[in-house]
Amino acid sequence: MALFVSGLNHRTAPVAIREQLAVEEDKLREMLGDLQNTGVVGEAVIISTCNRVEVYGVADVPGEARAVAFRHLCRYRGIEVASVEPLLYTAMDGDAVRHAFRVAASLDSMMIGEPQILGQVKDAFALAQSCETVGPTLHTLFTQAFAVAKKVRTETEIGRHAVSVSFAAVELAKKIFAGLTGKSVLLVGAGKMGELAAKHLVEQGAFPIYVTNRTWARAQEMARALAGTAVPFADLATALAAVDIVITSTGATAPVITRQTVHDVMHGRRGRPLFFIDIAVPRDVQASVNTLPDVYCYDIDDLKQVVDANIRERVREAQRAEALVEREAVRFISRLGDVEVIPTIVSLRERIETIRTGEVRKALARLPGASAETQAAMDALSTAIVNKILHTPITKLRESSRAGTGRSWTEMVHELFGLGRKT
Amino acid sequence: MQPTLFNLAVLGYVCATGLALAHLVQRQEFVYRLAALATLGGWIFHTLSLVVLAVQQGRPPLGSLPEAVSMAAWVVVLLEMWVERQYGVKVLGAFVLPIVLVLTLRSATRPLGLVAIEPTLGSAWIWVHIALASIGIAAFVLNFAGAIMYLLQERQLKAKRPGAFYYRLPALATLDRLTYRTLALGFPFLTIGIILGALWAGAAWGSVFTFDPLAAFSFVAWAIYAATLAGRAAAGWHGRRAAYFALIGFAALVLTLGAGLFLPGKHGS
Repeated sequence: MALFVSGLNHRTAPVAIREQLAVEEDKLREMLGDLQNTGVVGEAVIISTCNRVEVYGVADVPGEARAVAFRHLCRYRGIEVASVEPLLYTAMDGDAVRHAFRVAASLDSMMIGEPQILGQVKDAFALAQSCETVGPTLHTLFTQAFAVAKKVRTETEIGRHAVSVSFAAVELAKKIFAGLTGKSVLLVGAGKMGELAAKHLVEQGAFPIYVTNRTWARAQEMARALAGTAVPFADLATALAAVDIVITSTGATAPVITRQTVHDVMHGRRGRPLFFIDIAVPRDVQASVNTLPDVYCYDIDDLKQVVDANIRERVREAQRAEALVEREAVRFISRLGDVEVIPTIVSLRERIETIRTGEVRKALARLPGASAETQAAMDALSTAIVNKILHTPITKLRESSRAGTGRSWTEMVHELFGLGRKT
Repeated sequence: MQPTLFNLAVLGYVCATGLALAHLVQRQEFVYRLAALATLGGWIFHTLSLVVLAVQQGRPPLGSLPEAVSMAAWVVVLLEMWVERQYGVKVLGAFVLPIVLVLTLRSATRPLGLVAIEPTLGSAWIWVHIALASIGIAAFVLNFAGAIMYLLQERQLKAKRPGAFYYRLPALATLDRLTYRTLALGFPFLTIGIILGALWAGAAWGSVFTFDPLAAFSFVAWAIYAATLAGRAAAGWHGRRAAYFALIGFAALVLTLGAGLFLPGKHGS
């Protein structure tokens, strides 16, 4: 029996195929049942998201299991199996472990470090458990994969920095103000993205929210949506003096906020920083306000630049995460190997011990007058012989499992000593 | 025994500095933990060495300028460990520990406790003078580190190109608060320390204004810090300007100690 993973993902398959093969829970249950019933797999877990469809399993002939699974899927969706076949990858044993760890740790995701994949893998595992297709191998594999994913998340900053413009703006605000609790926000204009950024700030504790717009009714409407206060557009400068963060997203063709306005406003603020998030194109805030002390002004391109830097940061962190996953995978594989040979070692010892005690008993039966010392000596002698003989085979078995050839060795030992079925 | 303990302390600080810098670059949690451990270890040895020195000499371990500097370094490390915890600024060590190294290496090359104290130094006030000045200096070391971090982070945010420091350093508001608080902490200690020193000098040498390079520079440093504190409290100074003043004040403080250590004068070397 071999551990394998087989499937396709965003790198190997176009979205046109992926969207057809991503299936709902009921269908997954059916497929898991199918795989189990045909007897091609001992255990199975199927992960199905919009970016990947993968079958994890334990099977004698993994190729057959893979064929059954994807034939089933293709038939269900009415796609030619032949068109999917070249897109599939398969990994066995150690490589399958590595793959599972990388997927759960979000290293194989389209956006490295995105947090959803771990939840999706957990759901897939829970579903397989409820279908009773999870055995000891997949159980240890997935619980370990979850632990590794958690470790990657806490020990690297792979998922730490924002990869969307609006979250990048929130992060910048935090780098200026520390906490956002009680920081006031002024939203100028009614752009969708401005509203989204304002919502993110509110989620982080920003309060109160002021909204202004050239159209008074629009300002009131927006204020209601954000649980804020509408401010007449004419009072823009007054509002600027009071708030900490300004989000602008108007459709104006010329800057709404000039350097002079901000310069005048800053005087009364006694050094409280002012952060402009200018999402409008053309821009609403004169770029030169950024040169004023304590004023930080980011336009949409600046924010995109921050996002790019964040993504580069994620990629750098991903390298550290890869090293961590590799370490964990190697450790897990060697343990898995030990797990593989241990039952054989145990039954080998039991078998020999049965023979030894049986023979000692027979010998003692032939020596009715044997003293306690003689009995003890015979016992010690036989034990010593057995241990000496068993030492090499057991060491070899352990070594073979670490070298990845445990399976053939255990089979040989079973044959040689007539140990019967090994599991 | 005391030199051994002190050398162990310096060894701990050397390791801590290396690890803290490695953490600044690598940001690995376990490296940070090792750095924190090395810092604590070094500080414990430092504490023991100060205690042993005090017991051996039968006086506070503040009998010479190098001893006072060593004491200041001890307070710096204590403050650093506390601030790091309090403000959650894990990279603080990378900025403070190199200064601690500079402060302690001088004393490590020449064993402490060998300086015979002048008979005129026999008043209890001298110890208070030295202790208070040491605490003040320690607070200003952190003040300096906070200002450096503020300027680095401010530059990153103005330039809009997030680099290594953007990710590693805390928020501007946090750093500004740190520099303000360390200034507010250090200033009274330095002030009283200097006043006591002057009064004691008047009593011992007959004049409050005996010329001494260290004393002269210390007045300059004090004036700069006084101006900064006044600017902050009354005129709303903050941020970049306050940070620049922290740098200037620290430069004056370095000159003060340098003058005491290397120029002939009443503070001796």
